[in-house]
Amino acid sequence: MSAEKNNVSKNPKSGGNGNPVGAVMVVGGGIAGVQAALDLANTGFFVHLVENSPAIGGVMAQLDKTFPTNDCSMCILSPKLVECGRHLNVQIHTLSMVTGISGEPGAFKVALTKKPRYIDLAKCTGCGDCTKVCPVLMPDEFNAGLADWKAAYRLYPQAIPAAFAIKKLDRAPCTLTCPAEINVQGYVQLIKMGKYKEAVRLIMERLPLPGVLGRICPHPCEDKCRRQEMDEAVAICSLKRFAADQVDLSAFSPPPVAVRPEKVAIIGSGPAGLACAYHLALKGYRPTMFESLDQPGGMLRVGIPDYRLPKEILDREIDNILRYGVELRTNTALGRDFTLDELFDQSFQAVFLGLGCHVGKPLGIPQEEAEGVIQGVEFLKKKNLGEPFTVGQRLAVIGGGNVAIDVACTARRLGSEVTIVYRRSREEMPAFHHEIEQALCEGVKIIYLAAPLKVVTGGDGKVMGLVCQKMELGEPDASGRRKPVPIPGAEFELPVDMVVPAIGQEAALGALADWDVKVSKWGTIEVDETTYQTSRPGVFAAGDVHSGPWIAIEAVGGGIEAAESIDRYLRGADLAEGRVLGQEAHERWRELPRDEEGRPREVMQTLPPEHTCACFDEIALGFTEAQAQAEAARCINCGVCSECMECVAACKAEAVDHSQKPEAVELEVGAVILAPGFKAFDPHIYESYGYGTYPNVVTSLEFERILSATGPFEGHLVRPSDHRAPKKIAWLQCVGSRDTRPGAHGYCSGVCCMYAIKEAVIAKEHAGADLDTAIFFMDMRTYGKDFERYYNRAQNEAGVRFIRSRIHSITPAGPDSQDLKLEWVEENGDKKSEVFDLVVLSIGLEVGEDLRRLADTVGVALDGDGFVETGSFAPVASSRPGIYVCGAMAGPKDIPYAVMEASAASAVSSSLLAPARRTMVREKTYPPEMPVWEQEPRVGVFVCHCGINIAGVVDVPGVREYAQTLPNVAYVADNLFSCSEDTQKLITEAIKENQLNRVVVAACTPRTHEPLFQETIREAGLNPYLFEFANIRDQDSWVHQQEPELATEKAKDLVRMAVAKAALLEPLQPVHLEISQNALVIGGGLAGMTAALNLADQGLFTYLVEEKDELGGHARKVGHTWKGEDVGAYLFDLSRRVQNHDQIEVLTGAQVTQVKGFVGNFETTVQCRGHEHHIQHGAAILATGAHSLKPKEYLYGDNDRVTRWHDLEKRFVENPQLLAEAEAVAFIQCVGSREPERPYCSKICCTGSVSQAIALKKQNPELQVYILYRDLRTYGPREHLYRQAREMGVVFIRYRLEDKPKVESATINGREKLLITVTDHILERPLKIPVDYLNLATAIIPKGLDTLAKFFKVPLNHDGFFLEAHMKLRPVDFATDGVFVCGLAHYPKPIEESIAQAQAAAARAATVLTKGYVEVDPIVSVVDELLCIGCGLCEASCPFNAIRLNQVTGKGYRAENITAACKGCGVCSAACPQRAIDMMHFRDRQIVAAIHAGGQARAI
Amino acid sequence: MDYSFEPKILAFLCNWCSYAGADLAGVSRFQYPSNIRIIRTMCSGRVDPVHIIEGLKSGFDAVFVFGCHFGDCHYLEGNHHTARRMQLVGQMLEIAGLGKDRLQLRWVSAAEGQIFADTVTELTELVRGLGALRGSRWQLPLAAVQRALNSSQLRWLMGVDRQMTEKANVYGDRLEAADFQDLLRRCAQQEYEKALLVEALQEGPQTVRQMAMRTGLPVYCVSRRLNDLERTGQADLLGYEGSSPKFTLLSA
Repeated sequence: MSAEKNNVSKNPKSGGNGNPVGAVMVVGGGIAGVQAALDLANTGFFVHLVENSPAIGGVMAQLDKTFPTNDCSMCILSPKLVECGRHLNVQIHTLSMVTGISGEPGAFKVALTKKPRYIDLAKCTGCGDCTKVCPVLMPDEFNAGLADWKAAYRLYPQAIPAAFAIKKLDRAPCTLTCPAEINVQGYVQLIKMGKYKEAVRLIMERLPLPGVLGRICPHPCEDKCRRQEMDEAVAICSLKRFAADQVDLSAFSPPPVAVRPEKVAIIGSGPAGLACAYHLALKGYRPTMFESLDQPGGMLRVGIPDYRLPKEILDREIDNILRYGVELRTNTALGRDFTLDELFDQSFQAVFLGLGCHVGKPLGIPQEEAEGVIQGVEFLKKKNLGEPFTVGQRLAVIGGGNVAIDVACTARRLGSEVTIVYRRSREEMPAFHHEIEQALCEGVKIIYLAAPLKVVTGGDGKVMGLVCQKMELGEPDASGRRKPVPIPGAEFELPVDMVVPAIGQEAALGALADWDVKVSKWGTIEVDETTYQTSRPGVFAAGDVHSGPWIAIEAVGGGIEAAESIDRYLRGADLAEGRVLGQEAHERWRELPRDEEGRPREVMQTLPPEHTCACFDEIALGFTEAQAQAEAARCINCGVCSECMECVAACKAEAVDHSQKPEAVELEVGAVILAPGFKAFDPHIYESYGYGTYPNVVTSLEFERILSATGPFEGHLVRPSDHRAPKKIAWLQCVGSRDTRPGAHGYCSGVCCMYAIKEAVIAKEHAGADLDTAIFFMDMRTYGKDFERYYNRAQNEAGVRFIRSRIHSITPAGPDSQDLKLEWVEENGDKKSEVFDLVVLSIGLEVGEDLRRLADTVGVALDGDGFVETGSFAPVASSRPGIYVCGAMAGPKDIPYAVMEASAASAVSSSLLAPARRTMVREKTYPPEMPVWEQEPRVGVFVCHCGINIAGVVDVPGVREYAQTLPNVAYVADNLFSCSEDTQKLITEAIKENQLNRVVVAACTPRTHEPLFQETIREAGLNPYLFEFANIRDQDSWVHQQEPELATEKAKDLVRMAVAKAALLEPLQPVHLEISQNALVIGGGLAGMTAALNLADQGLFTYLVEEKDELGGHARKVGHTWKGEDVGAYLFDLSRRVQNHDQIEVLTGAQVTQVKGFVGNFETTVQCRGHEHHIQHGAAILATGAHSLKPKEYLYGDNDRVTRWHDLEKRFVENPQLLAEAEAVAFIQCVGSREPERPYCSKICCTGSVSQAIALKKQNPELQVYILYRDLRTYGPREHLYRQAREMGVVFIRYRLEDKPKVESATINGREKLLITVTDHILERPLKIPVDYLNLATAIIPKGLDTLAKFFKVPLNHDGFFLEAHMKLRPVDFATDGVFVCGLAHYPKPIEESIAQAQAAAARAATVLTKGYVEVDPIVSVVDELLCIGCGLCEASCPFNAIRLNQVTGKGYRAENITAACKGCGVCSAACPQRAIDMMHFRDRQIVAAIHAGGQARAI
Repeated sequence: MDYSFEPKILAFLCNWCSYAGADLAGVSRFQYPSNIRIIRTMCSGRVDPVHIIEGLKSGFDAVFVFGCHFGDCHYLEGNHHTARRMQLVGQMLEIAGLGKDRLQLRWVSAAEGQIFADTVTELTELVRGLGALRGSRWQLPLAAVQRALNSSQLRWLMGVDRQMTEKANVYGDRLEAADFQDLLRRCAQQEYEKALLVEALQEGPQTVRQMAMRTGLPVYCVSRRLNDLERTGQADLLGYEGSSPKFTLLSA
């Protein structure tokens, strides 16, 4: 194995053994990618489908209806997605990006990065329980931001894979800032939802003191809150307090962990010690906490007055920590009662030092030891511990920090007069601003810019005054604050009887240094900053004793880290591994919401100062519930997912995994297909349109979502601002397209005209006829098949208004109006204005930054517009061999064209990798099937809980017991998740143990899960068709949530119906038909030759039949493509390759005279130069081309100066002198096209005439060139030609169908000329143009297709072109299996599109031919020949020609089902007058049994 | 008697559009009354007219058929067949006196979860208004409707409609849509009457008068239909009771 892999890297040309790799990577899971993947997988290649988002489907899934058939987009897309999701040989890589690619065609190595989904795809059942509990709302990208979705989300309801995903960016700045790394965003969200217990539980994952820190934390998190950029920070600290106050901590139970025997000593019970002890307890240790005082809490208890932190809060939370298994020994001090070494002697294996800083710093002034001088910390301690001491009448407190304020306010409450002496000014005071305010309110005096000089004592040695020095501010010192300097001579004395220094604290380290614990020069314990280990192994320290006096939350953080280290130390693990100092932050956060208005933070109620200064009641009263929830709702969810873990708790399948990390994946593939689609143009650059400012200006994509039944308004046509139904809607075309301003694009986006018309028509269907719709456009480009008809109908039947004008700005209709005013100038110069309620911007398609990066990564060249560069003769090949491209990344295009290119890309990949076909595909083997024909039915019924999705409404055990009573039921069970892997095993075992021969699963829906269970019973040896589903979730528990009893009753009925049907189910075998692997291509033009060559290159023998004596068709008349490539040279080369190919037999001068058979087994008779050939073939491609109209107008045929198509070019090539002498030539467009008798656009003529005009201008710059047109349809990048022609001076004159140009022969100045009269569209008066030559762009018309149509039983459309199976998603297939179409016989199209379509047809034919057999789903109809009377009604009613009359000797005609062609709809069965036809698996008796069972009296 | 009537409704849903729409209603948690019992078919075109009657006979108060919108059909035009057939079934129910409202046909796409829920809600209310379909009174008419819908003549006409109105038959005749509808209606009436008599005769030989009493058909009508049955060998004259001829069923 490994040797083979080495081979690959040494010799990248081969797939290890000289062959290419039989796998292909398709990038992009939109419709093009899905089509390419399916085509390849169905022709024997393994496909890696790489999609950036969590689900496949792409933009098409977002669309409402599709043009021109008005099909529901999701309805037609969904089956393909499902097929892709289930295909054994398509591996979908979601949330994945290509990060590198190396190697050569046939053997590429691709590097992928897979982003974490945070939900296990294999376990997720798609039930949505996670999204229900998720608190985080974010703009729903699928709904173009018009709705919200949750951080746990599914791209759209029908997504494949159906699994949910969690969107997570970097952790929020609040959490990153918190020293204890509390998940702030998470608990804020839980508070928002009213889940206080969960919020506290989340806080307590890190912090065991939520109520304490919720009161006293200086909350550095709030300083980093990004809400400040909008208004004010979220009141995080107050929210924490609120949550803690709502919850009884005793309701939490310690986690069930194994108790660890190692003894750990915690010295000091302040915040660091408590946090360390708590976390050790969570890990299973039972630490002992030593406290020198008689009560625990450290500085929290002795340093903080009750009015800030009531003692009962502290007691409650410490008691809770002790409850977790922490032993507390008070009145036991290190150094006094025991030594560090003694601890280790007493078999403690680790020690944590959380001693704090409890020693006040001396002032260093005379008389400081006098009676009446007391340190601030000492003062507070005595008060807080209730120790007896006398408080002075008049106090001087020295210092400007929180301790000074706390002392001052405490003393005020005890009745003293208090003066604070601070040496700098108010601005420099380090105490919290609001506390200074509080102190002032309570009557504390503050003297700024004063320093104590000496304590004055009386005769009794007691304090009686304090002499102070006045100061002023000098130069800034090291801290950046201005340094106070004494004002010489300015001294004063304060008459006080107590002096309280509060200028800082130190740690009391005692003999630590002697016990090998290193102490810093600042008197703190030195530790490793990551592990908190001191210099002595096994001894750890954190909190103030390490950091110096600092905030409690920092001490908590240190305690948590130390606990982690202690655990590692005791387990012998590396202390530092995987731990980093601080968290890595990329600041990838959610953008600030643009549309949300500012909302200031909630203000907490406090006690009035007159009340507070008399007692120690808590000042701050806490938020009310309404306040807390409103405040929490202000959080903008920077990280998107808040990691509140509600989803983890809610998910019964245990699928949520927040620990997932990005993954690197390497793939080996033979070819790569890029199909990543496009980015919708962002119209923000059009400032004058006010998109983003005016809510009722929306993009076309947003409008699709508005129309969609699954959209934000559930399909109600309302406008965003007020959800009112609009009365007037305008569409502005060419937004971002046909525009050369910076940021916009010069090309035409090719699809917007049609989608705007469609949106207008559908809007009218929604709103009724009185909705006014207007489309503002420049040229109406409805160039595709049936598009012109759609345009005409919109205009004439639906009444959509079309206004030829480009709108330059949108303005509000009035000062407070949400309506919008448009102003424009009519063609005749009239100024107009109208007010609309809604304006839709028809935005174009572009290649976004991500896609450019992708192109760069894979190394393919882009053209000037940013699309992948391709040539007309190899329309899906990129600049890098072996890498193909399809869909909008190679130029703007609509869905059918993208689908066609996808098949074409599959075709060229197949021919590249043909030798490796079927080398990497997976095939499954099953045990032999149990014969059940002669057995009594033994039905097993499995009822699913689906977590709580079913069981939360339906009485599942009740249903199970009821099922036991039903006839033929031999076994019943109920399962938590029937689709989980272990349940699959249970089902398999139950089948074997109980000899079950039919299985009913009552669960979700057969549409998604039937194949899974069929697979399961197959593995147990049962035929997959012996399975029946009862849908008791999607169609029961989910839709009758308020009626559990009725839902249960319904579930019982549905189970009874399923059992009744199941008992009658029969084993069915897929029909396996051997086929001919040869192909027949009819038509030897460019399309036919291309198709034949590709099939032959894929190794499939192909007959190419051409009516004429020569290959080449109409392309022989074309000189150059619109891109300038030489068509003649290519054609010559192509026909040589076709004729010399040993897998192609060319029959020229040949005519098809008869076709018999059906898919896989056609027999076609061809007359060729007097011989009759009988060709056996499995598939056929019809590529018989089209012709150009010879008109009877404009003097064509009467005057030889009037020519058509390429005749003028040819004339000038043959006689260059004529061109040199000519003064003027004209082109008339739409000759015979877009007229009542031929209401379609011939698509290629505008580009043809414009490129000819440019060529003529280049050859003879003096020549006047006129193009007379109706709409200039240089769609897509061809628009550049149009611009170039105008710049070169080609004159474009628009005419109207009802006022066509007139042409007459004339002699002007003695020269023979043509005189053209046409009405100028701007001047509105006739112009007379003399020209030397006139060239007509005449209609492309189908000819003689009806014979072939009859032979192959395929339909023609109203214009006589072949009609494909589905205009959108099956552009080269016919409804009749095995027959395909390409080239002009399908519809007029340019060369590159013909070639792509030909390759696509080859790919589709290959899906039939390469297998060597057709396997048909046995759900087909069967005819009872004894009952059949040969009436033929079935044949007439089958659109697939899958049933036909056969002559049976002696009986006349009898119907026969052609299994290979039957699709299983059952229409024939319901049609048969004799009831002679039945439908397998949906047999009459099976359906009737279900009906009877369902109609039975109620099951109670 | 005071009980609130909860109708029981059978619904046929096609796999590709309406069943998917019903699933979407579920995924989206759109609530609707729990009265329907769903049977999935691949295409609404699979639903045989007879299935509707089987439903009404076996205890359902109404039957709904849901399919794809025109143009959305996975099988191209199966739903067109459904539309024509269900129209006829409705007519038959009308003729039989049950009223056509007990059969409802609606189009719901795979994206229309809300519409599915709304439609079921609306139609359930409608059926609630119709009241229960109970009692022996409807046994005979329903059996007759079923027999008529099984008759090859009606089934042929149901299937041949497009051919007759859009193309032409083998003789080149083409009917206007309205004429065809007329023909179909007349034929439905006759087939129903014949079927009703056959069902009545299943209970034993009866006189024309007895049959008129039993079926509610006018005596003249009974005579004419008996003639038809006689001609096709389905019934025969047994004798007379008084002046009224007595008929019996011939085993087919």
